[in-house]
Amino acid sequence: MTEVELAPAVIQALQDVTIALGAPLVSGAVATIEARLQGRRGPRVLQPYYDLIKLFQKETVVPEGSSWVFLGAPIVAFASYLIVPLLIPVLTTYGLPLGYMGDILGGGFVLALAGFVVALAATESGAPYAQLGASRAMTFGALIEPTILFVVFAVGIITSTDLPYALAASLRTGSSEIVRPAHVLAAVAFFLVVLADTGRVPVETHSGTLEFGMIDEGRVLEHSGAPFALLKWGSAMKQLILYTILIDVFLAPWGLAASQALGPVLFAIPALLVKAIAVGTIFAFIDNSFSKLRLFKITEFLAAAFALAAMAVLIFYLGGG
Amino acid sequence: MPSVAPSTFAGTANVIAVIVLLTEFAMLRAPLLRSQVRLYAFQSLVVTALAVFVAATRHIDSLYVLAALSFTLKVIIVPRVVTRLLSRANVSLAGNSSLGVATMTLIAIAISVFGFFSVGALNLRSPVLPEAALAVSVGVILVAFVLIILRSDVVSQAVGFFSLENGVSMASLVVASGLPLIIDVAFLFDLMVAVVVFGVLMRIHHARNRTLSTEPLDQLRG
Repeated sequence: MTEVELAPAVIQALQDVTIALGAPLVSGAVATIEARLQGRRGPRVLQPYYDLIKLFQKETVVPEGSSWVFLGAPIVAFASYLIVPLLIPVLTTYGLPLGYMGDILGGGFVLALAGFVVALAATESGAPYAQLGASRAMTFGALIEPTILFVVFAVGIITSTDLPYALAASLRTGSSEIVRPAHVLAAVAFFLVVLADTGRVPVETHSGTLEFGMIDEGRVLEHSGAPFALLKWGSAMKQLILYTILIDVFLAPWGLAASQALGPVLFAIPALLVKAIAVGTIFAFIDNSFSKLRLFKITEFLAAAFALAAMAVLIFYLGGG
Repeated sequence: MPSVAPSTFAGTANVIAVIVLLTEFAMLRAPLLRSQVRLYAFQSLVVTALAVFVAATRHIDSLYVLAALSFTLKVIIVPRVVTRLLSRANVSLAGNSSLGVATMTLIAIAISVFGFFSVGALNLRSPVLPEAALAVSVGVILVAFVLIILRSDVVSQAVGFFSLENGVSMASLVVASGLPLIIDVAFLFDLMVAVVVFGVLMRIHHARNRTLSTEPLDQLRG
């Protein structure tokens, strides 16, 4: 019996579909686990899907005086989140045809574009809280940037490429690659970056309703209806994309398909979702055990992440690899 | 060409050494005096773990004794003593330090980079531990100095001094783990003396100034 082989384009499309359809599931599962940790029953696991369906059916209200930028931004942001899964190892250990159209930095730029257009729309709306959120998100985004750069440097030094596939591949070669300090430090630094970028404690309370504490959440306050659904969906996808990079590039690149056969590729989908929910559980646990930092103390957190990432590069030049 | 990873042993040893250094960085920001002491206990625990790791993989039995000694002394006794002194002083928050935490971290990174490269220039080779661990322990010593200089409370300065000893004992693990036990024990004895001296200093300072901050000392005029 010969195994059914999938065309690379099909696998590539599957990567996108997995991220797009899996993201609300991961968000819902993590929200439920978080509620259980707090002794609440919490929402249903599938709640984010119902939310999205409801929002898509609602009418769209646009603030007075805002232009097409306000309505176009959610679409551009959503498109960006659909592009990034093409560049990173979501289901396979090998690069797919479009996987080489951008490296880690390319993916970072596409994610930054999404953040930029959402901030632009927030400014366009003229609402004070949306603008507050947008300006904060941009400020802290700029402070996270050096850490991401140093993580990319560390990856580049380890693999001599800047492709996420290469690091995942070198990780699977043996335990000496896993415990090498440059990798451990870069992985922890990236973990902190994900913590900050997905709007988690200690940077932001993601379930809060107080506008003064909002960073990422604040930006979308003025949106409604289908564009708002796209933004919500997009932020769930962004979370899953960051989890995927953390898991498949840094922490546990196992369970990915090594061939184009149907079986392994299909197995990789639930494997990724389970791993993502496991990582989300860790984040939920952190959420419950620490308190949110004061806004001006966030720089301390980011300085710690930067120290880790810088150390990852330095330790390499010490010969400690 | 991808860089070659060090062996699993070297990698693990380096990671443990780096954790010690990162604890030193964490001390720069710890706002509570109590957490400062806990960080020191944790750092000592990691150094002990490094000693056990080297002893187990390189079959140096005397290191087990050293590990046991440093565990009882540095993880249990010293933190206990300092915590008791603190509970008498009844002060929990460290005062403002002269610089912000982010600035201190950047300074500490710059200084440890300096330490790394100066050790790299020496070109030392160790039969037991990877030489990167030596550079990291020099980094620990230098960052401990930064901690002592920039934090303006007696407890941080004392803890900085104690953690300096952690850096030294890590360096001695790297360069000379076959060192006669008596010398390592002498280091630990030095630490005991330091604890007593700092304990007395802390109590006198607190009795005179009703604070653990060193800021009143800046106002002294000859």
